Amino acid sequence: MDEPTLPIPISYIAGSYFLFSIDAVTYVRREHHICGVLSGTLPQIPQQNVFLGLPLKLMPEEARLLVEKGVACIVDEVKVQKDGMRSLMEEDRKKYLRELESQGQHAMRLQTDRKEQQREKALKKIEEKKAKARKAEQPPVADGPSEGSVVDLFANDQGSETSRRSSTVAAPYGTAMGVTPATSYPPLPYESSAEQRLALPEVPSSYPMFAHLHSEGYFLSPGLRFGCQYLAYPGDPLRFHSHFLGVSAEWDEEFDLMKIVAGGRLGTGVKKGFLIGGAEKTEGDAGDPSSVRTFSIEWGGM
Amino acid sequence: MADTDEAAIHMPSQDSGMHIDTDLSDETQDFRMLNSISFLTDGSQQTLPKRGEKDFEPNPTLFQADVLSASRQAMHNALSYPRLHHPKTQVIGIFAPNGPAPPRSAQKFDMITEESEPSKPAGTGMGVHADSCVYVSNPKGQYFKSIGQADRWNRIWLLPEEALYLLERGTLDIRWPCSEVGCADGDETEDSGIPMSLQAAYAAFMGRSGLTSERFSVYTGLRRLGYTIVRAPGWYDEEEGADSSESEQTTLEKPQAPSLVGIFNQLLQWLYRPTPTTALGPVAGLGIHRSYDNIYRSISIIPWYDPTASPSPPPRTTPPYRVVFHIYKPSTPFKKSAPPTPDFRLAVVNARTHTTFPTSSQLGALLESTPLDPPIGEKMSRQLYMRLRHGYRNVILAVVDEGVVSYLRIADSAFGKEKIYKEKNTRGNKGPWRPRPKGR
Repeated sequence: MDEPTLPIPISYIAGSYFLFSIDAVTYVRREHHICGVLSGTLPQIPQQNVFLGLPLKLMPEEARLLVEKGVACIVDEVKVQKDGMRSLMEEDRKKYLRELESQGQHAMRLQTDRKEQQREKALKKIEEKKAKARKAEQPPVADGPSEGSVVDLFANDQGSETSRRSSTVAAPYGTAMGVTPATSYPPLPYESSAEQRLALPEVPSSYPMFAHLHSEGYFLSPGLRFGCQYLAYPGDPLRFHSHFLGVSAEWDEEFDLMKIVAGGRLGTGVKKGFLIGGAEKTEGDAGDPSSVRTFSIEWGGM
Repeated sequence: MADTDEAAIHMPSQDSGMHIDTDLSDETQDFRMLNSISFLTDGSQQTLPKRGEKDFEPNPTLFQADVLSASRQAMHNALSYPRLHHPKTQVIGIFAPNGPAPPRSAQKFDMITEESEPSKPAGTGMGVHADSCVYVSNPKGQYFKSIGQADRWNRIWLLPEEALYLLERGTLDIRWPCSEVGCADGDETEDSGIPMSLQAAYAAFMGRSGLTSERFSVYTGLRRLGYTIVRAPGWYDEEEGADSSESEQTTLEKPQAPSLVGIFNQLLQWLYRPTPTTALGPVAGLGIHRSYDNIYRSISIIPWYDPTASPSPPPRTTPPYRVVFHIYKPSTPFKKSAPPTPDFRLAVVNARTHTTFPTSSQLGALLESTPLDPPIGEKMSRQLYMRLRHGYRNVILAVVDEGVVSYLRIADSAFGKEKIYKEKNTRGNKGPWRPRPKGR
């Protein structure tokens, strides 16, 4: 995990905010409790919806929070791509293609190695089976070795990849894999120019409550599926279930009692608290996260 | 008695809520579960990972911190998996920012337009959709069975969502065209050799010709599950949904069951014309009543809505309540050249911009734009509630809240068409679960 250079560019594309760099995704999650929603297909297991991949889609609230903290900046990605690609120097282009080529060769080598290993393993298994069949009279032993073949391949792979990246040997297998990188730098510069940057994201009126809950250490995610605006997690959603269904209200807003009953009932049903909150209106402008008050509603089991 | 449902809440094992709970994609899953899948060894063993155990709340133990960091590391590893293309199976697409065009030898564009406005599918003269923006010269693999359109030069043209989806899943290698990267190679090919990154592809295709991030989320989500999904005529906001002609045809085709009942009803009404007013006496009318059916019929004085009678002209649909996708189940044989009748019709709604439930007229127009799909079939004719649930027209609303998609099925049920009093009679005659009279 590498630390990304700050500020992290958040790509603004067609009304949405995206992160494409895995380092940025890991960093904002770990350091700033911003999870976003993974919206891309994982190339290694593309036919399922349980685990998704890059890009990470950020809510406007999340993007704004990161910008206000000075961690990120909003970049007009369409403009960056168009300008950047057109002004690409011949030199950089060649260098980039060489880089991709070597990455592709590296990947090819890894895959060929892995196939070789698998073949050997398979052969070994067949050998073992044959050996077992030969001494069939003997009492059967627990088949330990076959159990051991279930290895954590992914972790292994990652480890070897990083260790081998340092070595710069030409691929012995001739051809190279084609690579589709996740991000556009290189060849484009990481830092954006001032004219490519955009203003603070527009956020809904629930932003003060979002910022308040976030500042209290909660991890927030969009909550429409659970009938609320935000799901509030006490820790990283990877490891914890959410505790609250958050709904924001204006300070003097009158709302139906039914809303509380429905929300409280729903929250209790999914073992979560129904949380309602809003920012106290002060002179001038509303929406200071420090003036937010929150209430949690649960069905009392008397 | 009031407590029984409350008890059910606390014992979710019998509750329907439990079924909702087991949708794994509902909540963030622990990426460590992904490690156990051996997708790297071979593709045949792909099983879905099990749900991981989660803790209630953070505590300051080292153990918990370790588990969390392992989860994050697993997630990091999973997400940094590269998109690679083996030379044997590599499929290369080339980005055409100006839309479909004949090969370079025929024509040359030097002007780069801004975001192309959604243009009408007609007028390219190449037999491909005008919104297509990537072409593939060597279409290999199963995906092109349901994706893309071929032109005269044997190139497959892809729409922005198709191109982006294929790139995202690591199936397609899209290249920048020479015109966009400022290299002036004078050769015939438009391929600059520079692959488009995921980031570049999002910037290039998202927002192009009506492709919003909400629509794309729905598109990829369903594609990942194996559905075939194509644009419906309602994709373009200014165009009128052209599905209405289709709906009229089906109305004419399937009038059998309701019409028989209708004729019978008319006959009876003509015979016993009831006077539906309580001022002059009982609604059922005076005289001798020989069957309950007649009484029920005569007291049903409240007019009811008949979904089969469509208003002419059909009302205009308002965006976003408009069918934008046609969906085919994986089991439905799909032919690109002649797509069959879709299994589902889907409208995409952004939950952030449309926070209220659609009005009756919006929903009505949306349903009216879909063809009549009456509840027929062996199962439907037996079960009343299946019929009611299925309805006479149906449409699926995909509500997208910042990348999280919820699907709702809206059906036009006809309660007035289901005569409960008749239902009882038929059940008494043939229902095997009813005690039969002793004499028979």
